[in-house]
Amino acid sequence: MNHLSEDELILHSYGEIESADRTRVDQHLASCIECQQSKEKLARVLTMIDAAAPVEAPAGFERTVWARLEPALDQNTGSTWRTLFSFPQWALAGGVAALVIAAFVAGRFSGEEPSAPAPSAVAHVEPARVLETAVGDHLDRTQMMLVELANAETDGADVLAGEQERAVDLVAANRLIRQSAQQSGDAQVVDILEDLERVLLEVANAPATVTSNDLTDLQSRITREDLLFRLRVIASEMRQRQLQDREAGDPARRKMPTS
Amino acid sequence: MEERDPSVVAKARDGDRDAFKTLVETHSRYIYSLAHRMTGNAQDAEDVVQEAWLKAHKQLSRFESRADFRTWMHRITVNCSIDLIRARRHREDAHDPTDLEHGPLSEKGAEAQPTPERVAASVQISDRVNEALSLLTALERAAFTLRHVEGMSIEEVGEKLGMKTSATKHSIFRAVKKMRAALEPFAQT
Repeated sequence: MNHLSEDELILHSYGEIESADRTRVDQHLASCIECQQSKEKLARVLTMIDAAAPVEAPAGFERTVWARLEPALDQNTGSTWRTLFSFPQWALAGGVAALVIAAFVAGRFSGEEPSAPAPSAVAHVEPARVLETAVGDHLDRTQMMLVELANAETDGADVLAGEQERAVDLVAANRLIRQSAQQSGDAQVVDILEDLERVLLEVANAPATVTSNDLTDLQSRITREDLLFRLRVIASEMRQRQLQDREAGDPARRKMPTS
Repeated sequence: MEERDPSVVAKARDGDRDAFKTLVETHSRYIYSLAHRMTGNAQDAEDVVQEAWLKAHKQLSRFESRADFRTWMHRITVNCSIDLIRARRHREDAHDPTDLEHGPLSEKGAEAQPTPERVAASVQISDRVNEALSLLTALERAAFTLRHVEGMSIEEVGEKLGMKTSATKHSIFRAVKKMRAALEPFAQT
């Protein structure tokens, strides 16, 4: 007699046996003590899982959540967005460029050994950390802009027009970082930066008279491509990686977030 | 302000910041546990909680006042967890498909394999179950949780995770087998 497989027992436990097999499985179970015992063992394990208490949040978690959440809620109001984004983006682009260039001078991202010693002024720069910092900063600022656009009222198309100058700067920074990430072989960072660049270009190159349809299209794109959530995931991994690097005191990390 | 007061949700919907804060403080621990069960680690659970509240804030106007707020938050949290897992999967697929079995959500689990000493020291069923859950990959954990805990059909789980039904079945099979191997010695009676 062929006993029921473990897979069949699992499906039977969940009531998901295919209708074509149901009669055979039911009849076998009714007559086979060995399979009945196997199913009972499985049922005990599943019951044990049900009985387990969930993992508790750390003490004070609610307050931490609110502290993180409240500033983000402000971005939804639309009233404070201009002040939130008052940081001069040209400074960001310039800063990022300087950091990335410093990383290149240190000669570590190209994957090739520098032909001459790096200048002493930048010889101490740890390029992986420099790039991690630059990318983290860039992702945070891009995220803020996308949050603003994603949550803007569709009849407030001037929001899109108002973001154009910022988008131009972010495109420039995005390209620099993407090129560096490409050379360092960080495929997943390149992936998200490519998607971001398309959206940023769309904002930067929006027509002079922006309609609410343009904004709706852009919002759909942000949602459809899960851009905000992907950004948060990679930014979160970046923070985690930086934290781990600091804790490990590892000065020689060359990769950005893995996954 | 007590969240039991049905007007709290209504006030939050009308833009009352204190009312929304009350909702956050009342439900965050619950949705953290849910997110942790789905994702398997604290950092991801925290990110999911944050994302869930942002979505809730944005969609609060669509909340039916007769519905149960916690049930509504539960659904948003499950969806946010799935979004995170799918976003990871999307990038991992593009990078290296084998990462699915060794992705970031499973790394901690691999480190946390229960040694005999740790198992012996663990006297709580919950500890044993959580240890066993940590052995699952991100995908196995999500598929198993959606099927076993959330009660979705395998087909629905596949749709949620963007997987074919056969692949979903195999993820659940692997998950249950791992859980069984880890827990059966403790579930004899």
